[in-house]
Amino acid sequence: MNKKRDRLEVIYDFLRIIQDNHNSIKPTPLLRKSNLSSQSFNDYFEELLSKDFVKEIYDKKKKRYITLSDKGFHYLEKYKTILGFIDDFDL
Amino acid sequence: MIKMMPHFLESGFEAEFLYTLIVVVLCFLVYHKTKEIYELTKHQGIKYFRSAFLFLGLAYVSRFLLHLIILTGISLRFIIPKRIMFFPVFTVPVTYLSTMAIFFLIYSTIWKRIQYKNFLILSNIVAILISVTAFFSRSLILVSILQLIILLFTVMISTRNHKKKKKKYTRTLYFLISILWLINLLLLSPGRIFPPGSKILFQTFSIIVFVVVYFKVLKWIK
Repeated sequence: MNKKRDRLEVIYDFLRIIQDNHNSIKPTPLLRKSNLSSQSFNDYFEELLSKDFVKEIYDKKKKRYITLSDKGFHYLEKYKTILGFIDDFDL
Repeated sequence: MIKMMPHFLESGFEAEFLYTLIVVVLCFLVYHKTKEIYELTKHQGIKYFRSAFLFLGLAYVSRFLLHLIILTGISLRFIIPKRIMFFPVFTVPVTYLSTMAIFFLIYSTIWKRIQYKNFLILSNIVAILISVTAFFSRSLILVSILQLIILLFTVMISTRNHKKKKKKYTRTLYFLISILWLINLLLLSPGRIFPPGSKILFQTFSIIVFVVVYFKVLKWIK
């Protein structure tokens, strides 16, 4: 497996976990379920946040939740297409 | 009887225009269709693939302009004796854009195995050097030979670094695109390098290859 493919897969898994949790999950269970180190988790989270794939929301008790943005949902929809395209064109 | 038709219209101008139009539209469609998945992933391979088709499209546009200069220059050679000045100037963008396109196309398939940090700098330097050579030599044959050397060299590296054989078809397609470009460049050279009638054959084959690539893209991105 190449490094870049891994990255795309990690992003997919990350977003998929949020989606599977009714599009709302706290950072700690997300970290646990994503099977990433704290450092990697933070790097991916910051990247996805800055690229507008995920959003942070706070409930009434000021607890932080992570949800998918439209772009995040779009990535999940397109994931199979992206992988197929990369594989087909040997990219 | 005095011929009223301009010389360039008698020299296959319409066919050349149509050919360029089809190829350029296909290249830009490939570039446009892949925009969304690139923006979602920022995948380096997709970036190089898109760049290859953008540069190829621009190379074909500049090749058409060069062809136009050759045709109109010949027909107006008594009016514009210095037409020779236009030729070397227009060989520069043709050479630069096409060399970069070949680099991007091949690198899109090997970037994972050869993560060369200075790829953009090196490819630009080589493309500029060949463009300068084209400007001073005024020889499209020399440009074709230099690009062929680059192509063979990069294909050699690519083959050495591909252990899987299943993607041979895609790489053959890329190789064909590059080779057909070189033939297209040679077709602009003065004198008969290829037998008469071969131009239309090469150009038809070239369009087929670009159509195949476009439909391969469409298979994934509707």
